[in-house]
Amino acid sequence: MAATLKGVLQGSLADNVKNSKILVVGAGGIGCEVLKDLVLTGFKTIEVIDLDTIDVSNLNRQFLFRKEHVKKSKSQVARESVLKFNPDVDIKAYHDSVMSPDYDVNFFKQFTLVLNALDNRAARNHVNRMCLAADIPLVESGTAGYLGQVTVIKKGLTECYECQPKPPQKTFPGCTIRNTPSEPIHCVVWAKHLFNQLFGEDDPDQDVSPDTEDPELTAEAGQSALQSEAKTDEIGGIERKSTRVWAMNTGYDPEKLFNKLFRDDIKYLLSMETLWKKRRPPQPLNMTQLPSDTDGNSSAIRDQRQWSVKECANVFSDCLGQLKKELATQGDGGMLVWDKDDETALDFVASVANIRAHIFGIAMKTRFDIKSMAGNIIPAIATTNAIIAGLIIMEAIKILSGKIKSCKTVYLNRVPNDRNRLLVPCTLDPPNPKCYVCAPKPEVTVVVNCTRFKVGALQDKVLKSYLGMVAPDVEIDDGKGTIIISSEEGETEENNDKFLSDFGIRNGTRLKCDDFLQVYSLVVTIAHVEKLEEEKEFEVVGDLSELQPQEEQQQAANGSKPHNGGDKADGQCTVPCLNPWAVLTLSDL
Amino acid sequence: MAETKGSGLDKNNKYDRQLRLWGDHGQSALEAARVCLINATATGTEILKNVILPGIGSFTIVDGHKVRGEDVGNNFFLLADSIGKSRAQVATELLGELNDDVTGNFVEESVETLLESNPDYFSTFSVVVAINLHEKALLQLGGVLWEKNIPLLVCRCYGFIGYLRLAVREHTIVESHPDSALEDLRLDRPFPGLQTFCDSLNMETMTKKEHGHTPWLVLLYKYVQEWKKTHDGQIPKNYKEKNMLKEMIRKGIRQNEEGVPELEENFDEAVTHVNSALVTTRIPSEVQALFDDPCCTNINSESKTFWILCRALHDFVHNEGNGDLPLRGTIPDMTSDSERYIQLQNVYREQAATDMTAIRNRVHALLQSLGRDEPVFVDPKPCGAVSDNEIKTFCRNAAFLRLVRCRSLAEEYGTNTVNKDELNMHLESEEGDDLLFYILLRGVDRFYDEYNRYPGRDNSDVEPDIPKLKTCLTKLLHDWGLSGTVKEDYIHEMCRYGASEVHSIASYMGGVVAQEVIKILTTQFVPINNTYVYNGFLQTSTTVQL
Repeated sequence: MAATLKGVLQGSLADNVKNSKILVVGAGGIGCEVLKDLVLTGFKTIEVIDLDTIDVSNLNRQFLFRKEHVKKSKSQVARESVLKFNPDVDIKAYHDSVMSPDYDVNFFKQFTLVLNALDNRAARNHVNRMCLAADIPLVESGTAGYLGQVTVIKKGLTECYECQPKPPQKTFPGCTIRNTPSEPIHCVVWAKHLFNQLFGEDDPDQDVSPDTEDPELTAEAGQSALQSEAKTDEIGGIERKSTRVWAMNTGYDPEKLFNKLFRDDIKYLLSMETLWKKRRPPQPLNMTQLPSDTDGNSSAIRDQRQWSVKECANVFSDCLGQLKKELATQGDGGMLVWDKDDETALDFVASVANIRAHIFGIAMKTRFDIKSMAGNIIPAIATTNAIIAGLIIMEAIKILSGKIKSCKTVYLNRVPNDRNRLLVPCTLDPPNPKCYVCAPKPEVTVVVNCTRFKVGALQDKVLKSYLGMVAPDVEIDDGKGTIIISSEEGETEENNDKFLSDFGIRNGTRLKCDDFLQVYSLVVTIAHVEKLEEEKEFEVVGDLSELQPQEEQQQAANGSKPHNGGDKADGQCTVPCLNPWAVLTLSDL
Repeated sequence: MAETKGSGLDKNNKYDRQLRLWGDHGQSALEAARVCLINATATGTEILKNVILPGIGSFTIVDGHKVRGEDVGNNFFLLADSIGKSRAQVATELLGELNDDVTGNFVEESVETLLESNPDYFSTFSVVVAINLHEKALLQLGGVLWEKNIPLLVCRCYGFIGYLRLAVREHTIVESHPDSALEDLRLDRPFPGLQTFCDSLNMETMTKKEHGHTPWLVLLYKYVQEWKKTHDGQIPKNYKEKNMLKEMIRKGIRQNEEGVPELEENFDEAVTHVNSALVTTRIPSEVQALFDDPCCTNINSESKTFWILCRALHDFVHNEGNGDLPLRGTIPDMTSDSERYIQLQNVYREQAATDMTAIRNRVHALLQSLGRDEPVFVDPKPCGAVSDNEIKTFCRNAAFLRLVRCRSLAEEYGTNTVNKDELNMHLESEEGDDLLFYILLRGVDRFYDEYNRYPGRDNSDVEPDIPKLKTCLTKLLHDWGLSGTVKEDYIHEMCRYGASEVHSIASYMGGVVAQEVIKILTTQFVPINNTYVYNGFLQTSTTVQL
């Protein structure tokens, strides 16, 4: 091969390829293809990291894995499979999370190039920061069904992964889930919460009982419901105990659980009359008096046939029994983790979601559809991954030949667009000077109510979950250097339940936030408000000017410069039919 | 739960992520397919890999070559110790490991020999993929498959260039999965069931809750009836008229005692949907073209099921359908109480079922008149009875039916039938485009005919080949009757490639070609018609009809 390739990979490029050291992050759909392409293009030194194990549903595209590899480490099996075909390559595999502190900036600095083949935003954010800190070029990619995208990120030269705000991951207000579901997805989310309440990790944000603090309940209506029911009725009594403890005490008795969840709790909801003034009220169900089976459409396969309420109740019963057994095998204090590819866990969610949908007059769904909703499933096929991997290698080759400036962001369309283009290449944008990650002195403003927002929430919800830090340290910029959050275990845990205002944090306070692993420092300015819209707990904005009336600015911006539109086109660029980052934020493993 | 045990479950899980793209029936079509690959080069095995993983029925590799050292370097499915062995055999064995549900076969013979000894050999396949064929064999194979209407995909990776050509005489698509389709609501021409249902609802006498939860579809129907009264029975046609209708709807929002309008989301929705929902129901031009096609007007006992369905559809439109296609029968989500939403849904469903029954009766009458209404074969064979599911899918997609008829390879290569205009356009384009590489590929073939090797191949210095290739191109263009020339730097680039097969390009084209194979086998989505050229260095690509 070397002989034939030498002509194509000109001059020193073939040597650059041979002498380079590549990190592939992810050994899933794209990762498998990339590993194969690297080896067959002449790359000799490769490291691959993935914390995942192989699942049956990977086998339709992740061609380095076979049936007998199911449940084994992806990175290690991928390495072995590639070596079987090409023994003279040096591949090192890590079965680990790339976000672990073991992979610090020095680890990243040893590579010529990093190729991302990831499936989630948190890891993409992290690798983006590590590559910025190490100043190593990164090729970022993603696929979703027939769509795909590849781009190149280089510190100071291009936009980083976080330069453009991405659409927030969709969440639903707690009271919609608990009190007033109106779409199938609300019932699916509730069913997953119930799974965790009964068998999984206890999360107070995933309560499944009726929510008496629903803002729709005017003070008196909510109170009267509480007073008339809660103290006298046993339902109210149950509520005070955790769902888990109560369920365990009944021995996960299907009828008792069913009648509490689908009869008594619903009756309780009905007592909050204001909720049903403009809505169809739910109809409580009794396990022993379920509507009889009507549908005779049993020819279709189980996955894609709509179950009747009665069938759902039976599945619910069966699952409770099985999950109870599984939980018992975990020992004391053990718990189950919900997994879309676990048959029983999925059956449980499908049956529960459908029973709840029936109660609220919402369309019921098949198990197949519920799997997709509950597991956030993105369709994935071999062809798209093969195409995207090919594009990734071409960009890598350009970087190694010193032509990083001619690299492109490439979008793969589902069908050729109206200009007969299947691919849409666009020139890379320069860094966003206001980016809260790659700007020289990154800053953001966080809008909260300082008297109601806790330090723990600042750490978990704002700094870690929203701003992508792994182990933040926070000090108040008050001249005294008060540390409110420390990444060292045991140093500041006692602060977690205190409000920001307890530390004198108020409107205009500046917080110096650092993540040593990511070599990332961010100044957070607090903007205090009494109440945020739509039940939001906090909001992150680039700078304070964005807090001012936004619409006019946005319109002006839209009018002059279409976002990602024709103006950065490269002869071929038309506005892609997908959100530029949608694919990179969802996307295949 | 008993029925989920066994291999069925395994397949559902294994193929879960793709079933969400093409469904069970698409998967069944794949599993019934027999795919033939000619020449197991890196590109060839990449294509096969991408159709074996999703589970085609079987594949067969036709390849007379022995494995050489350079094959091993860029082909994942050949090993160092396979050198000297049959390439067809080694690739079949290693590809076979990818999926237990797929059967692999091989024929250790060159396509030329096989065409000579047994030209009918290829007619047993669902689709044939040919890599790096020389012109003579290509045209001969193309002729055989064209005759049998078996799709042929011709593919080639040459340096940084990828090339794909689809040659199929006729490919029909029921489920074309359009990117954006308007709902089929018939507000301009309401069917009796819709009229009866909407007329039975009286907005005046409704409670406040009912009023605010009346589906916007009903509101729009009512206001359009109102509008028609004063506009000669016409629906609002232009922007201005639609705005007037919106105003009428807004006035219908109830007011409270103080004269302040209530918050009625359904009215807001009705206003928003005026533009998209109030469209003239008509037969799409693609479907009209199908009706006018001789295959539809002259059906006979040999006709494909698709054409019999088309004919039944045509006859339906001109009789029971009163000029319209069968109703799709689905409505979008909307603010409503569930009771009336379900009633409305049923109104549409029932009409769709009635339309489907009418078409089914016509299909069976047609089949009977052709002496074919016997369940001889199960689809997709062009004979025998047609299943209700097939008719249902056909009706639901009636507005999206598509037909692809490619130009034949013989036409593309014939000096009198070559698509001169298209080629000339690209030859003269200022900045130069991807299609120049098509001309260059034809040029290197000419070079091969003359020198029995490709330019830049087996030659450390490519310079001497540049003028030679240039001469070949001049002759080629002259034969086509074109006077332009190909820029020197393109010719140089082509010589530099030396006919090498770069793996990343093979990987890319392996994905693209496999995707087209899947489209063809599942008869879902519209395949590329007919030529696709990828330029790996610029990351650009073009589709043209040659």
